[in-house]
Amino acid sequence: MEIKPLITGFEPQEKPAGEEGEKPAVYDVIILGAGPAGLTAAIYTGRARLKTLVIAGSLPGGEPSNTDLVENYPGFPEGIAGMDLAQRFQSQAERFGAEIVLDEATAVDFSQEPFTIHTYSTVYKGRTVIIATGAEPRRLGVPGEDKFFGRGVSACATCDGFFYKDKRVVVVGGGDSAIAEGLFLTKFASEVVVIHRRDQLRATQILQERAFANPKMRFVWDSVVEEILGDEMVTGVRVRNVKTGETSVIETDGVFVYIGMVPKTKLFVGQLKLDEQGYIVADRHQRTNVPGVFAAGDVQDPNYRQIVIAAGTGAVAAMEAERFLSEYWQTHHAEAKPS
Amino acid sequence: MARDRKERKKQPRVIIFTTPTCSFCRAAKTYLRQRGIRFREVDVSRDQAALRDMVRRSGQQGVPVIQIGNKIVVGFDRPKIDRLLGLG
Repeated sequence: MEIKPLITGFEPQEKPAGEEGEKPAVYDVIILGAGPAGLTAAIYTGRARLKTLVIAGSLPGGEPSNTDLVENYPGFPEGIAGMDLAQRFQSQAERFGAEIVLDEATAVDFSQEPFTIHTYSTVYKGRTVIIATGAEPRRLGVPGEDKFFGRGVSACATCDGFFYKDKRVVVVGGGDSAIAEGLFLTKFASEVVVIHRRDQLRATQILQERAFANPKMRFVWDSVVEEILGDEMVTGVRVRNVKTGETSVIETDGVFVYIGMVPKTKLFVGQLKLDEQGYIVADRHQRTNVPGVFAAGDVQDPNYRQIVIAAGTGAVAAMEAERFLSEYWQTHHAEAKPS
Repeated sequence: MARDRKERKKQPRVIIFTTPTCSFCRAAKTYLRQRGIRFREVDVSRDQAALRDMVRRSGQQGVPVIQIGNKIVVGFDRPKIDRLLGLG
């Protein structure tokens, strides 16, 4: 997609050289993750003329790119396809000079400056780091899930929904993602059964209204999935009613799991302060316990997980990184300050 | 996308099975292009025969599925793609 520039006369920075064998450059800012938080941070640091690297990780665009339609991000009154929105974030970050690599961090060292990020391909060094690795879908952790993952069990309706044309699927969960993706699946599937552990949905009201009005959707309340059944293919799920304790089998061809997210923070264990659930602990300025390392988006947000909030915290992290760098240059390395 | 022809070695045949709304597919394609890998894309949402073929070959009911030579990679599994293509 081509984005028309809003401001004319702005030339993007030249991309930093990254030839093989060359001594790796030190970036002003290394951003881990290319979802709304990471890419918004990159827009801000790029505009601040900071040498910015975004290590995109496994899902450039982040969670929105797995979302069919985004209706609650301001500026798009008709809604926008998640993938398009993600692409727009990326184009905007690139326009202001951010270098985005399709690589994934495998280890980090925040014990000395500049900070070191190891990836599949190489090693990067940064004076500041903004962590925006996000969160990934929580797995059910029941028998059959691993066996059938990708073969009847999925956490991505936009990826795999097509395979269930005229078939029956179940959606596990009752939040926004479960219901929105369940509604998306009604485009393909003959029936979408929502299995939820409570007796009411947590999804936002407008999604509930649509779900209850959709003739293809059916609801199984107060129930949890205990096992995914099948031989070669998924044939059903065994569910247990949490109130009565009764178990029953629901026949189905596919299982879509939307039971929340877990933060992607494995790399930071022992280096950054994490909370009990594994989220990075960040203050109101998006600072972690390591000066110069910031966190933004879902990786530090157990509560809201909204694109607009991720973008907002990304902007805060970027502005704080900029401030950190200007103080750093002033107090430590005045002679080395770049022109 | 600039392609560095000098860097190109003989590569195994690469086919990527995709659907239009699959973000991991897009990421995988971008990655292959960045690394100068030639590949053929099959949009299984438009091609029922290819869809059945993919499911049969991979046992998968999801995309992306990437066939490299006669090996199957499920998802955008970068380490495995790198290994099969001999990318550093």
